[in-house]
Amino acid sequence: MKHAMKHAILGAALLAAYVGVPLLFGGTPYVMGLIVAALTIAGVALAWALLGNLGGMVSFGHAAFFGVGSYTSAVLSMKLGVPVFAALLLGGLGAAVASVAMLPALRLRGPYFALAILAYAHIFQILATEMTPITGGAGGLLSIPRFPTLFGLEFGGKTGGYVIILTIILLSAFAYDAVRRSAWGLALKAMHDTEIATRVIGVPSTHLKAAMLALSAFITGVVGAFNAHFISFLEPDYAFSSTWTVLPIAAAIFGGYRTVWGPVVGALVIYLLDQLVFKPILPHGHQMVLGVLLCAMILLSPGGLLPVLLRRRRSEGGRHAHA
Amino acid sequence: MLTLEGVHVNFGGVQALKSASFAVAEGESIGLVGPNGAGKTTLFNVISGVVRPSGGRLDFRGQSLLKLPEWKRARLGIGRSFQIPRPLGHCTVRENLIVAQRFGARTNDPQRIDEILDILNLRDKADSDATTELALTEHKALEVGKALATNPSLLLLDEVLAGLETTSKRAFMERLGAVRDRYKLAMVIIEHDIPTIAALCPRVLVLNFGQIIADGAPDAVFRDPEVIRSYTGETTL
Repeated sequence: MKHAMKHAILGAALLAAYVGVPLLFGGTPYVMGLIVAALTIAGVALAWALLGNLGGMVSFGHAAFFGVGSYTSAVLSMKLGVPVFAALLLGGLGAAVASVAMLPALRLRGPYFALAILAYAHIFQILATEMTPITGGAGGLLSIPRFPTLFGLEFGGKTGGYVIILTIILLSAFAYDAVRRSAWGLALKAMHDTEIATRVIGVPSTHLKAAMLALSAFITGVVGAFNAHFISFLEPDYAFSSTWTVLPIAAAIFGGYRTVWGPVVGALVIYLLDQLVFKPILPHGHQMVLGVLLCAMILLSPGGLLPVLLRRRRSEGGRHAHA
Repeated sequence: MLTLEGVHVNFGGVQALKSASFAVAEGESIGLVGPNGAGKTTLFNVISGVVRPSGGRLDFRGQSLLKLPEWKRARLGIGRSFQIPRPLGHCTVRENLIVAQRFGARTNDPQRIDEILDILNLRDKADSDATTELALTEHKALEVGKALATNPSLLLLDEVLAGLETTSKRAFMERLGAVRDRYKLAMVIIEHDIPTIAALCPRVLVLNFGQIIADGAPDAVFRDPEVIRSYTGETTL
């Protein structure tokens, strides 16, 4: 009964996301563009939270994976003619490969890891700026191929982009959830407190952490690649901007970084609130309101928004059951 | 099965182990005793890979362990417990054993997990939070359980009986005996309680200041004047 209910809710949510949102906002490209941007941040936020929750690592360098993914996909499709959807996956793969360069940082913990990965992100930005023949240098890449029309569906527009980024997020969330529920997930959770105790029972903790770093990098890279083909333009300062690290972290913490869907909810709420409510009221300094909102959430509910909503739903369910 | 030859460990200027040499045969039970700071836990750390020795030879079933990380040693069949229990955080008792089995033994055998829970009297606590909902005896049992779930052939038990009162200690000893017989394990047990060691182990090693000073049957070892002096400073107990 509980399972059937869960499946029904999931089905309704998918229907609303894939059909309801395009029907409601498909005619207003501005709003649809904002939703796509929010989901792009959500994708990075989800990947960031995955690394924190499962790998036990706080990263300040996800912009590196975002940038590497976007450049890999853009360059492959522009210079080698790789089909855009294949390039999207190769962008993720490129970011995962880039994460291999960060493996030495896995020996570090806490703030040391965070700072090391931030430095790595900067190195990749410099590489993108200096490798002019491939990346176009500081001038960037223009006219990156947009998503094609497939099976009569036009993916190059705002609504098509929305469907793609939504699918990327759903697949990423399912992958995250599957890892979390597996023996790998248990071992990864346990490693945070007692790494040595897990190693002596056969857990290759460094390999597991490296795998989580690669998975997180892959998801971020795919999201970065999506963004490159969606906006059709790239430059190093934009692709490797710290915005791609800071906003996802804020979104994940606001929504509830310990849950799978919290970062997605957080990204949608803070980005859409900021753009649709705070920005029209305060064109300059609207981010301050966002900052205050984030501080309030951390103080009032350190677990984030989603756990609060779920608790409320459960307690209301309990009251109805008693009534 | 396990051979140590001239193993030494230096921590800065301190020699924690000085040329330790001994062998453990298949199915053998050995008691490892010695005063505090003698190097007993360091010896376990060396065998399980937590500490790299400064020199010497360390072989398990003909294979050198020296370059293998802890997790590979566990997969070869070396299980260990910690003196201060280290349950896996955010996991239930059963999940602790599942992680140990999936990674250490690389099998998925719920029946064996149930068997371990039964032998160690943990069945009722299987779904309890391993960090917050266990008594000391249960924590100690879980330490043994995690090591057992890796399907070891050599079990290193670090003071699993310490801190238990007499009745619990007796019951725990019986469980250890049952574990050894059921899985035909070799065991090395660190324990301060001499009657307990004498009851469980036909062979005893004594460490003092990082050096093995006696190796033999409990009766002979505990009458050895050097052993008595290492514990009491006197030559008679």
